[in-house]
Amino acid sequence: MLTLGPLGFAVPWMLAALAALPVIWWLLRVTPPAPRRVRFPAIRLLFELERKDDTAARTPLWLVILRLFLSALVIVALARPILTPGERLSGGGPLVIVVDDGWAAARGWERRRTTMDWLLDQAEREGRAVMLLATAPSGSSAAPEAPGLASPREVRTAAQALAPKPWAPDRHALVKRLEGISLPAPAHVFWLSDGLEDGDAFALAEALQRLGPLGVLVDPPQAAPLLMLPPDADATGLTARLTRVASEREVALIVQARGGDGRLLARERLILAPGASGGEVRLELPQELRNRLARLEIEDVPGAGSVILLDERWRRRPVGLVSGTPGRADQPLVGDLYFLDRALRPFTELRRGTVAELLKREIAVIVMTDAVALVDAERQALAGWMQGGGVLLRFAGPELARKPDALLPVALRGGDRVLGGAMSWSRPASLAPFPAESPFAGLVPSAEVMIRRQVLAEPTLDLPDKTWARLTDGTPLVTAEKRGAGWLALVHTTANTEWSDLPLSGLFVDMLRRVVALSQGIVGVEAENVLAPERTLDGFGRLGAPPPTAVGIAAREIDGAVAAPEHPPGFYAQGAVRRALNLAPGVGEPAPIERLPAGAARAEYGDAEREAELMPWLLALALLLAALDGLISLELRGLLRARRPVRVERLARAAALVALLVVGAPPAWAQAPAGEAFAMAAAREVRLGYVITGVEEVDAVSRAGLIGLSQVVTRRTAADMAEPFGVDPEKDGLHFFTLLYWPTVPAQRPPSPEAIRRLNEYLEYGGIIFFDTRDGGAGASLGGVGPGTQALRALTRGLNVPLLVPMPADHVIGRAFYLMREFPGRWTGGTLWVQRDTDRANDSVSSVIIGTNDWAGAWAVDEASQPAFAVVPGTGNQRELAYRFGINLVMYSLTGNYKGDQVHVPIILERLGK
Amino acid sequence: MTADGLVAARRAEEISATLPPLLLAAQRIAATVSHGVHGRRRVGPGDTFWQFRRYHVGDPPQSIDWRQSAKSDRVYVREREWEAAQSVWLWRDASASMRYRSSAGLPTKLERAELLLLAVASLLVRGGERVALLGGGERPSSSRGQLNRLALALAIGQGLPGRGLPGFEPVGRHGRVLWIGDFLAPIADTEAILGRYAHHGVRGHLLQILDPAEETLPFAGRVRFEGLEEEGEALIERVEAVRGDYGTRLAALKAGLAALSARFDWTFAVHHTDRPPQEPLLILYTAISEASDLLLPARR
Repeated sequence: MLTLGPLGFAVPWMLAALAALPVIWWLLRVTPPAPRRVRFPAIRLLFELERKDDTAARTPLWLVILRLFLSALVIVALARPILTPGERLSGGGPLVIVVDDGWAAARGWERRRTTMDWLLDQAEREGRAVMLLATAPSGSSAAPEAPGLASPREVRTAAQALAPKPWAPDRHALVKRLEGISLPAPAHVFWLSDGLEDGDAFALAEALQRLGPLGVLVDPPQAAPLLMLPPDADATGLTARLTRVASEREVALIVQARGGDGRLLARERLILAPGASGGEVRLELPQELRNRLARLEIEDVPGAGSVILLDERWRRRPVGLVSGTPGRADQPLVGDLYFLDRALRPFTELRRGTVAELLKREIAVIVMTDAVALVDAERQALAGWMQGGGVLLRFAGPELARKPDALLPVALRGGDRVLGGAMSWSRPASLAPFPAESPFAGLVPSAEVMIRRQVLAEPTLDLPDKTWARLTDGTPLVTAEKRGAGWLALVHTTANTEWSDLPLSGLFVDMLRRVVALSQGIVGVEAENVLAPERTLDGFGRLGAPPPTAVGIAAREIDGAVAAPEHPPGFYAQGAVRRALNLAPGVGEPAPIERLPAGAARAEYGDAEREAELMPWLLALALLLAALDGLISLELRGLLRARRPVRVERLARAAALVALLVVGAPPAWAQAPAGEAFAMAAAREVRLGYVITGVEEVDAVSRAGLIGLSQVVTRRTAADMAEPFGVDPEKDGLHFFTLLYWPTVPAQRPPSPEAIRRLNEYLEYGGIIFFDTRDGGAGASLGGVGPGTQALRALTRGLNVPLLVPMPADHVIGRAFYLMREFPGRWTGGTLWVQRDTDRANDSVSSVIIGTNDWAGAWAVDEASQPAFAVVPGTGNQRELAYRFGINLVMYSLTGNYKGDQVHVPIILERLGK
Repeated sequence: MTADGLVAARRAEEISATLPPLLLAAQRIAATVSHGVHGRRRVGPGDTFWQFRRYHVGDPPQSIDWRQSAKSDRVYVREREWEAAQSVWLWRDASASMRYRSSAGLPTKLERAELLLLAVASLLVRGGERVALLGGGERPSSSRGQLNRLALALAIGQGLPGRGLPGFEPVGRHGRVLWIGDFLAPIADTEAILGRYAHHGVRGHLLQILDPAEETLPFAGRVRFEGLEEEGEALIERVEAVRGDYGTRLAALKAGLAALSARFDWTFAVHHTDRPPQEPLLILYTAISEASDLLLPARR
């Protein structure tokens, strides 16, 4: 390899071909370019001219240089230049690459892949054998193959198939596998580590050093792995927690809360303070949203570690407490509601209200105390709600004992049963162990809980099935019945301490928790049941179908389960029960690899800059140049010429159209061609022009008005007027128009200084601007302050408007074609202001005419050439007079003071008469 | 209907679809010119009243306007405006070389020639003259329908290979001809046919239509020129070098045509397709009108 500064050449001998460039130069210069072919009618005149000048046109120098450059480019490209060739591998032995592909590698996986590619490029170039080892267990049941050497090409496919796993690496297993390996020559070993200590890092480094010199790559501090911890749930929200390798950098991250459907529910900023090894952020969500939460994740940080899956345990169910008679029931330490409130509030969203109020919103559980009298409507509403999945929990009491109603899981005997007390032989009863099929299964009945009084169920055949808890003497304490998708449960004692000690014990809270959980579908979770993997995370933290290696977990083991190939993190479900297995609890606090054996070189990813192969780029450039050269050749031979004008014009039009669409210009503007085409079109025929105000309606009226006037002028006079053009003084040439019609509207922006300069030049060189304030309809003459007049003042600031006078009776405008005394437009009246006649500049032609009568409105015609607007008041031949005034105006602008002598006719005649 | 018949019918439909715009354009430019040219302003045979004049000895008594004479002591003669209908034969070059334009923004020479031909015809018909297409095989007519027939004949002629010069056809002793073409054929050919017409007492007008590129030869470098009428090819190594010579030759051709016309008392004018069509129209119209006047001096 030949190296020149940052450039290296893999095939340097190709550069010798550069010596051929002068020959190419000579050849290119000698050959004349192919002639253009031109079809030409007057060819007879050219016949004998052929031989007069024999110096053939040569290929232009710049084209020769272009072609030489092209050739040089191809030659250099074939020499396979490489930009910033990297360092070489040491020694001549094989290359060993060890990759940590556990969960922590996901964040910097691109860097790892780049590094692997780079290493494999080198190995391929130098023909070394490669061994690729991954530390994370793959999960396949087959025993891992004994590591062996392979060609870089084979290893590359394996390396590309490598992906981070959603569990921790097992370096210990790798150390074991390495024990039996011997290589033919000392290898160069690279360990692409994830930077986390797991207790075996030192051992692995030692084992690798036995194979050859070891380089350990770790992530740069800003890319160190992050680990989300399960959040803490409390009454008002979740606290998302995050841990990392302690670092001195402050890191700002964003925690996203997403629903089961992937929808973003909340987004909070989380700052990891310098030196801190973790951080937390509160996510406060409305109850309904919170219960939809399915995962928390760190935005833009891929990896299984940055995702926490949430299941029912983090949800707070809305629980309704039916407040019966206020007062006593709420009394502290005495009332039923007091105890229920204290027990439920920490883990549920507790609402109070009547049945109707509670049922208005989503509610999972309704708890009803004894002292609630239900009306039929409420009973029906509750029954329907239970059919839909609600859980109704009732407590017994004196009222129920006296008069059992129908909304009960079991039939009650009348009256209550008193256990113990002065009048009884029996003692207060305690709880028996909970039946296995009961939702309370697993709870330990407290011996301190004594039930002194209860209501009794009628013994029926199905009573044992309906019993969730019973006393030591076998009488049911809690009975329940499935109602549709929901439950109806009855606690046969009160929710206060009057009948039992139950509300005082922690068991009460646990039982309530189980009942509330029942509403979430955690029913029948038997410890032996196996939860099958439903959806699991991959190494990048994406939820997907579980891999084939994933197997189910027994329900009782899921709390202690650690993410592993058999149990990738994800959701495990059986029936309606769905539990999340998260990575974080089984991983522990991340800690950096501190200790490495002597001789191991530690470096960060990215130190190995990727060397760039330039050949494809150079060849692509050469190809582009060749295409350009081809185009130039075609152009030189005239093969592009024939169609070009059309195309350029179209392109210009398209570009103008796009530009207009972008700036949202009015459509009237779009009809006028732009730039040179505008000038050509404007100059070729006589046209009227109007100033584009930017107000669409006004411009449309101007255009229609001038079209109408042009038609009339063409019909009646020798002037042949083409279609009028809209003119933008900011950019269009004005000199092509003898007359510019300018309706003044407040919405128009005052012209820029450049436009003012051009307008002044236009006036100076004989142009006429006809300002129409269109205020006649507003009842204001020019002296008044109609909106158009105000706009006129704003727009003409800076214009060289000459001294104006009201039009004298004998002004040329009144005689230019028709003899006229008044000049109505859409409106009548109003004064026409013109330049003082005594100004001899510009042949006494008034460069500015100002009126108020909205003439364009009177001239305007629609597509059928019918007048578009009514004239006001419309008496007599007002529109005809308006047209006549327009014709006079056009004639005035075309002929100047030509008809001025008409003014003097009376005097001349008088003199002749003498 | 046979296949040929179908094709012919379809072609006729296509052609007639293009007629109105061409006619309209021709009449539009004709209208602008007619404003500038007023009646013949001559006394002559006709129906339109021209003026009363005092009776002179020798006037035929039938010409006395008795009503006018009765109003005063003098005797008046009613004179009518001269309205002699003139036959004008029009011809345009429809050869391949006329179908040329140097840029898409310009009309081809043929388009311009036909526009002018129809405009002249429109003016003439309006003035009461009779027009016909030279070589069209029809008698001159001054009816409005003649314009449509002309336009149709032109449109049909577009599909046929035309000749660079008109053939000879007896047009009557005092007929006028108007030839519109590029006259790039060797001048001897033009002279031969023109002389033949002039020999028969026919007078006429040549309008040479040139594309601006033919005037300026705006090419550069090594160019292989091809004729449009199979004249052959010319390879010019550097067009810039021959531009001056080309200009000289073109000027010589024009001068030759002008001299030829002058010799036979014809008129000659050059028109470029990048100029408005009104310009030559005015020249042509006045030339034809004046020529008529010269030919038939008014009786006074």
